Amino acid sequence: MTTRDTVRARLDRVSDPELDESIVELGYVDHIEISDEYGVVTLAFTLPTAWCSPAFAWMMSVDARDEIESIAGVNRAVIRLREHMHQDEINEGVNARQSFDASFPDADGEVASVRATLDDKARLSRQYEAVESLLEADITPAQICGLTPADIDIHTGDDRRSEDAFAAVYLEAESFAVTVPARPLDRYLRKARTVEYITTENDTLFRTPEGEPVSVENFELVHRRGRLAQTNMTGQGGVCDALNESRRDKLNRDTPVAADAD
Amino acid sequence: MHTILRHGYMYQYKGEDVFVIDGHVHMWDATEENIKHKGGEQFIQCFHDYHTGFTPDDRQRDMEEYRKFTPEDVKEDLFNNHVDVGVYQPTHLRDFYKEGFNTVDDLGQTLYQDHPDRFVLNGRWDPRDGEEGLKELERQKEEYDIMGAKVYTAEWKGDSKGWRLDSDDAFEFLEKCADLGVKNIHPHKGPTIRPLNKDAFDVGDVDEAASSFPELNFIVEHVGLPRLDDFCWIATQEPNVYGGIAVAAPMALGRPKRFSEIMAELLFWLGEDRLTFGSDYGIWDPDWLIEAVMETELSDEQVEEYGVEFDLEAKKKLMGENIAELYDIDIEERKKQLSTDAISQEFGLGDTYDAAAPADD
Repeated sequence: MTTRDTVRARLDRVSDPELDESIVELGYVDHIEISDEYGVVTLAFTLPTAWCSPAFAWMMSVDARDEIESIAGVNRAVIRLREHMHQDEINEGVNARQSFDASFPDADGEVASVRATLDDKARLSRQYEAVESLLEADITPAQICGLTPADIDIHTGDDRRSEDAFAAVYLEAESFAVTVPARPLDRYLRKARTVEYITTENDTLFRTPEGEPVSVENFELVHRRGRLAQTNMTGQGGVCDALNESRRDKLNRDTPVAADAD
Repeated sequence: MHTILRHGYMYQYKGEDVFVIDGHVHMWDATEENIKHKGGEQFIQCFHDYHTGFTPDDRQRDMEEYRKFTPEDVKEDLFNNHVDVGVYQPTHLRDFYKEGFNTVDDLGQTLYQDHPDRFVLNGRWDPRDGEEGLKELERQKEEYDIMGAKVYTAEWKGDSKGWRLDSDDAFEFLEKCADLGVKNIHPHKGPTIRPLNKDAFDVGDVDEAASSFPELNFIVEHVGLPRLDDFCWIATQEPNVYGGIAVAAPMALGRPKRFSEIMAELLFWLGEDRLTFGSDYGIWDPDWLIEAVMETELSDEQVEEYGVEFDLEAKKKLMGENIAELYDIDIEERKKQLSTDAISQEFGLGDTYDAAAPADD
C-alpha cells in the first residue's frame, strides 16, 4: 500500500529549480490523493504566482510525475498544477507525456538549457556551503583546491538530512581524515555529478562558475561568487515565500502537506 | 483600506534630514474597462500578490482600490509620505491595456504639469516600434525634456514576447538616446513571465549595451532578481551599471535577514555609489518601505565577512544622493524650490525644508 508519507518523501527530491529547495519544504504541495486499487497517485500543487515561469513549472511537474511513478506499486501519477496562467498546457502536456516544445510551440528555446543554467547556479551555491564547512574544519584553501571525490567518504546512513551524518575528508600528507558534516558535501557532489563537472573519482572537486578547476589564486573570488549565487537563491526564495503565503490566504488552499503530515 | 497618514514634515532619520528621491513610481490604470487581454488582468493580480505579500496588514489596499491610481492619490501617497521627488517609470503594455497601463503622458499631462519639480518624468521606448518609435522618443524629449527612459524587455507586442538590449534594433534606440541626452536607461529585469523567453530573465544583454554605450548609465531595476548573481558580476565589470533596489526593498520589513544579505552583496560588488532606492509605488507605499530600509543594520558578522558598512552616509546615497547625480539634481537647491511649492503648502512641509536648507542669506 502506498502512503502519503512515501509520496511526500519522494516529492522531497523534487526541487524548485530557481531556489534549489524541495517543493515539499517550500509548501507548494496542496494535496496528495492515493488510489491503491488502480495504483494512481494524484498530486495537486500551487506555485507562488500565476506568472511563475512555465518552464520552471514544467520542470517541477515532470520531476514530480517521474518521482511518484518510481514508487513501487504506483502505475501512474496525475499532475494537477493549479492557479497558473498556463496550467492547461502544462497539465495536459505532462500527463500525456508530451514534450515541452509540443506543449508550448511558441517558446523560443528548449527546457533543457534552462535547467542546465539553473543547475549550474545551484552547483555553485552548494559549492559555497561545502567549502564553508571545510574552512570551518580548518582545512586550508590550498588543501581544498587539491581535493578530488576520491578524498571524500560520505556516511549518511538512511537519512541524508540526519544531523549525525558525517563525511571523512582525506588530506594529502595527513595521516588522519578530517570529519565534517555530511550534508553540504553530499548535496554538492550530487549536483556536481548532475552537471557533469564530476564524472570520475579523480576529477578536481571544486570549480569556478565557468567550469575551470579552482586555484589558490582565484579561490577567494570564486568563493565570494558562490556566496553571491547563494544569496540570489535565498533572496529570491524570500520573494517567493511571501508571494506563496499571500496567495495561500487568498485562494484558501488546503493546508500544505509539509505542515500537516505525520 | 486606504490609510492616509499625515506626516507633515520632510523625512528624518535619527534627527537628520534625508532627502528622498523615490527612483521608481507609477500611476496606473488596470480597471476592467481598460483591460483588453487576459494578460492585463493577470498582470494586475500578480502585482496585487506582491502588494499583499509584503505590505503590513493595516496598510493593504483591496483589489478595487488597487486597480487605478489618480493624480490626487499619487500626490498624497508620495509627497505626504516621506518622498521629496519621484522618478516616474512608464510601462505601456498596450497589448494588455486599451489606453496603456502607465504611460508617459498619463503623468506628463496631469500632475507633472502642475508640479514639475516634484518629478523626474522618464520616457519609454521599444525597438520593435521602429521609425515611429524613434519619432516618439524625440517627441518625449521635446515635450518633457526627458533625461531617462524605462525599457521593459519582457513586454509583449503582437507575436513577440520580448526583445534584447544588445540587439541591433535596440542599439539604434540607444544611439538616439545618446544623441538626445537621454542618458539614464532603466531596464526592468524581474521574474520570467513566459516559457523560455530568455530575454525576460536574462540580464546578460545589459553587459554589451553598457560597454558599447559608456556615455549612458544603465540602472537595472530590481537588481536583476532573480538574477542578482549575474547582475552583480556584470556590474563589477561595467562602471556605468547601477542597481535599483525596488522589489528587494520590501523584504527589509518582512524578511530582514534576506534583505540585509542582498544589501551586503550589493555594497560588496557595486559599492555605495551605484545603488538607488525605489518603492515601486503603487505596488507598495513608500513611507513604511523607506523606514524599513533606513532601519536596516548589517550584523557585526556581515560587516566583518563582507567588509562593507551600511551606515547613514550610505543610506542617504541610496535614498537620493546617487540618483540626484544621475539626473543633475542639486539637492540643496531643490529643497529651496520645494519649500515654497504648492505641495509643501498643501501638506504643511515648507518649514522643514526651510530649516533643512543651509543659512546662506
